[in-house]
Amino acid sequence: MSVAIKLEVTEAINEVGASFPGHQVDIEPDDQGGAFIRVHEIDLGSAYKPSATWVGFQITFQYPFADVYPHYIRHDIARADGKVLVTPFNHNQTFALPSGGVSAVMVSRSSKRRDPVTDTAVVKLAKVLDWIRSQ
Amino acid sequence: MRNVEFRIPQIMFDELFAHLFPGDHDEHGAVIAAGICESARGTRFLARKLFIAREGIDYVASKYGYRALSADFVARVSNFCAQNRLCYFAIHCHGGSDSVSFSGVDTDSHKRSYPALLDITEGGPVGALVFAQNAIAGEVWTRNGVHTLDSMTVVGLNHRRLYPAPKKSATIADNIYHRQSLLFGARGQEHLKGAKIAIIGMGGVGSLVSEWAARVGVGEIVAIDYDKLEPSNNSRVVGAMRWDAIEALLNSRFAALRALGKRLSTFKVHVGRRVARAANPKVKYDAVVGNIVDEKFALKLKDADYIFLCADSMQSRLVFNALVHQYLIPGVQIGSKVSVDRATGDILDIFCVSRPVLPQPNGGCLWCNQLISPAKLQEEAISEEQRKRQAYVDDPTIHAPSVITLNALGAAQAVNEFLFSLVGLHDDEGQVAGYRMASPRARRWSKVGCASETSCPHCGDMKTSVFAKGDRASLPCRAAS
Repeated sequence: MSVAIKLEVTEAINEVGASFPGHQVDIEPDDQGGAFIRVHEIDLGSAYKPSATWVGFQITFQYPFADVYPHYIRHDIARADGKVLVTPFNHNQTFALPSGGVSAVMVSRSSKRRDPVTDTAVVKLAKVLDWIRSQ
Repeated sequence: MRNVEFRIPQIMFDELFAHLFPGDHDEHGAVIAAGICESARGTRFLARKLFIAREGIDYVASKYGYRALSADFVARVSNFCAQNRLCYFAIHCHGGSDSVSFSGVDTDSHKRSYPALLDITEGGPVGALVFAQNAIAGEVWTRNGVHTLDSMTVVGLNHRRLYPAPKKSATIADNIYHRQSLLFGARGQEHLKGAKIAIIGMGGVGSLVSEWAARVGVGEIVAIDYDKLEPSNNSRVVGAMRWDAIEALLNSRFAALRALGKRLSTFKVHVGRRVARAANPKVKYDAVVGNIVDEKFALKLKDADYIFLCADSMQSRLVFNALVHQYLIPGVQIGSKVSVDRATGDILDIFCVSRPVLPQPNGGCLWCNQLISPAKLQEEAISEEQRKRQAYVDDPTIHAPSVITLNALGAAQAVNEFLFSLVGLHDDEGQVAGYRMASPRARRWSKVGCASETSCPHCGDMKTSVFAKGDRASLPCRAAS
């Protein structure tokens, strides 16, 4: 029997959807009460080639206490200026969707401290995207 | 509804008591908004927020009796209870000391008001408490009837219990407890017999706690662990026998024999139960093969009187911390650590810690003190394969050093903390917060101060905090399938 996504996780997913209107948002339960989320057609800016990617992440069942990381982007992303992407970008990774893994670049940006009320999944996503765009 | 208990944090009780008994021998009032916990042991109301009724403004002359809560005050607080799914308890005081009961005026007032309050608070329950200096009586109204409060427990460094009238004298303790009863008293021994404790993790630390608790006469123990014994556990898990983990099978070069060895190995909780029953045949022992992170197992602990956290995962720390604050159950986290320089193999540091956590602000909350890592919570929730791929974890085949005598340092401190709390032997009422840390190499014990944050989702007072909400909030657990 499958496990329902927890209320806290569902609310976080709804916030993500509301913050990215017009974007396709895929959701797959992780069978523990959490979920895998993939937001499509995110623009990373001209510093990257291709500049559009999907961004995936897992919100686990102990959210909002648990951090939301790492994030994953398409596997063939590269810098437009030809420089190599270095840590915390990690190549040859897989976004482990239950329906089938997707080749990806992992972006590992963990938070040592978080406020479960204000540091929501969508805020974390925005911070990670800001950070990627600023590199 | 049976075995109705009202639990209140010491800090809140002190504020309420000072308001009710300022020395003027007059009547004063207040309201407590409370959560609720219903279990096979009975019903517990959990004091979340105290509303002091100001004299002449919120607590005014009454046309039916001497004084009453003003209509505005009742409307404001009952609305708060409705919005936060809490139970409404009106409070006032009487004279006297060791016995107390409601007057006829009081019960008439309940009949006039409480049916409407039940509707306003969407089913409550609602009720009333009346205090004397050393006694409490209470009435609980539900849609199914009116019930009587049996007792109040003040949850603090020392547990304190209040009743409507003095309890009859405790019977002389069983002769096997004679020597410890000289310290705990017959009443203290009776409290131990009536107590339910929970132990999360039955390895080197939990197995010690379990045996000692059974041996001192604790009536009910719930032990939770999903692990089976391995040969290397024999030196630390008390009561483990060589045949509980058959090394020859577990280390066989044949997979089928290894699988057989694993199947024949004993669960750690079953070793704990065997040892506990040998020490105390009367103990009620629930050996739970499972993970505290799963909601169905965590909920077995919600009506405990004390929780020992003897597991070292972040996930179990989070669930423990939530149980302590959401259900007003004091607890203690125990651990020991030997740090080793990976490169040289040199021993860097050895420490053993006992971290008491009281359900109140500044009580030692593990979240406030950054002892629960959000990043680790995330890492522990993803699959082992994913963790390996992301290279988050150390090689699981490399075990950290662990010694039974080091485990015993933290465990003994923690069990003493529990015993002294339960029977009321602590003498430093003012110094609640603080962890105890042993540094065996330096032959030193030290006390570590604790932080507290009002915005904490567990011990804080914000609307989103689960503090004292009991069954009216969810635990941070894996959902049941």
